[in-house]
Amino acid sequence: MGDVIMRIENVGMRFGGLWALSDVSFDVEEGSVVGLIGPNGSGKTTLMNVVSGVLRPSKGAVWYRDKKIADVPTYDVCRLGIARTFQVVKPFTNLTVLENVAVGSMYGRDGAKRTTGAAFDAAGELLELVGLSRVAGQYASGLTTPDRKRLEVAKALALNPDVLLLDEVMAGLNLAEVDEALRLLRTINDRGVTLIVVEHLMKAIMLISTTVVVLAEGKKIAQGTAAEVTSSQAVIEAYLGSRFAERQARLAEIKRQAEIAQQIERGIL
Amino acid sequence: MTKVGIGGITGSKPALYVVLFLMAVLLLVPQLHNGYLENLFRGILMFGAMSLGWNLIGGYTGYVSFGNVVFFGLGTYTAAILSTHGIRNVLVAIPLAMIVAALFAAIFGAPILRLKGHYFGIATLGLALATMEIISNVDYFGGGTGLTVRQDAFFSLYYYAMWCVCFGSLLATYAIARSKLGYALVAIRENEDAAAVLGINTTLYKVAAWAISGTMAAAAGAVFAFANGFIDPDTAFSTDNNIFPIVMALLGGVGTVAGPVTGAIILTAINETLWSHLPKVHTIFFGAVIVVVVLFLPRGLLYLFRARQSARVFLESLRAYRV
Repeated sequence: MGDVIMRIENVGMRFGGLWALSDVSFDVEEGSVVGLIGPNGSGKTTLMNVVSGVLRPSKGAVWYRDKKIADVPTYDVCRLGIARTFQVVKPFTNLTVLENVAVGSMYGRDGAKRTTGAAFDAAGELLELVGLSRVAGQYASGLTTPDRKRLEVAKALALNPDVLLLDEVMAGLNLAEVDEALRLLRTINDRGVTLIVVEHLMKAIMLISTTVVVLAEGKKIAQGTAAEVTSSQAVIEAYLGSRFAERQARLAEIKRQAEIAQQIERGIL
Repeated sequence: MTKVGIGGITGSKPALYVVLFLMAVLLLVPQLHNGYLENLFRGILMFGAMSLGWNLIGGYTGYVSFGNVVFFGLGTYTAAILSTHGIRNVLVAIPLAMIVAALFAAIFGAPILRLKGHYFGIATLGLALATMEIISNVDYFGGGTGLTVRQDAFFSLYYYAMWCVCFGSLLATYAIARSKLGYALVAIRENEDAAAVLGINTTLYKVAAWAISGTMAAAAGAVFAFANGFIDPDTAFSTDNNIFPIVMALLGGVGTVAGPVTGAIILTAINETLWSHLPKVHTIFFGAVIVVVVLFLPRGLLYLFRARQSARVFLESLRAYRV
């Protein structure tokens, strides 16, 4: 693990009268994989939008190295080294898959140095990495869901990011496809790219994350390793409701008393 | 090795060769020494340039402008005013008209291009009408009666000048479609948010597209002013000059290089034939042609060149309207 590359500092985001995020803070270390989970409507995507500079936070700030992201125009955020995918994928449907990625190579972080031809070469390599070479010349409108997700990742990678924000890239994939996606994310992380992963699939998050941050109703309710987070009372409550959490607690209490009783019995015998 | 998709946004190659061949043929028109034909084909070249201009903002960038005639009008008036000051060289008027249009687009583009969809269309229409009203009411521009534009060159010069404007617009569009700029514009059309996240300064590129679009129409306007010999607000800002280039681009193929010129040739041919055979009701048939195009060829004739897809698209359109 390295230094802190990104600092989310007391971020609050208000839409009208609703605070979609309030007072969320955590640090992201260089080279780590941060999993961001939470029930529907907990503010995960909003946080992604704030971190990627698409939204300006109403309170607090996101620091990337020594820069405040809100001060940077959206189109310049990628030049800092931050790239993102969209939960609702946004392919350029009337361009080929290769062209879609090439646009990123042309205008992303290294874009200014690249000729159109060089951008296409770089895009071709990325398609190889994400496994889309077979459809490179197809229009993006004809892609299947898993391929659209792959394209979204390839487009973000074309910006040559240091930090990659992935918003539900595994939603809608079957188990085999999820495994494949996880392998891809590991490869990307091994290349030194820090990942912030929003995902509903617990299995995926638990397997890949070095740190998990849990949001509920716009607030951070837990942070830690996968094991720490899943045993947290607050997280179980947020996901399964307080009554379930109480019942779990009661069951645990009964189990404990039963064990004591058993021990006493053994002692007597 | 993956197939390189360069040329993906220039449109069909064969169509481009056909258009280049037609452009070469059009160069011979003045040799016919037929005033009617020369006027007719100068009109085609003029509409070709205007349609190429509209195609850049409406087709490539996806911002449908209903007021690009404003640039044409500014071009004609630039030429007319130069002429009243004794400068009657069309080669001076063209670049000046282009500069005026580019400045106009740069000033009004930033606020107007924030609007999307219909709102942008309405704003451009408003801008064109307002500019026309201002020009009609300022004596310096000749007010409602207009200005005379003196010619001091042999008449066919204006044909060749218009050919150069149209050919220049065609080359410029081809160069843009092959460049990074072209991909930025198409990315904005396809999804502006995604384009911004990929590092494209969307406002800057939209204004640039509109400015280049304007220079094409303005150059055509400058030549038209000399060839016509007279300019008034109704001629310079006429509805025909506003709508025809849009319909031509739609007919030929929006967002392609060859589409607008193809559309200009076909639509002028249809219009002229209908007009000469059915002088009283030709506009009805003309309207019918437009409706048919929009219903059955929503992306233009040139998309029929995308062999495998086109037949399917055409059949699907037929089925959708239960014909």
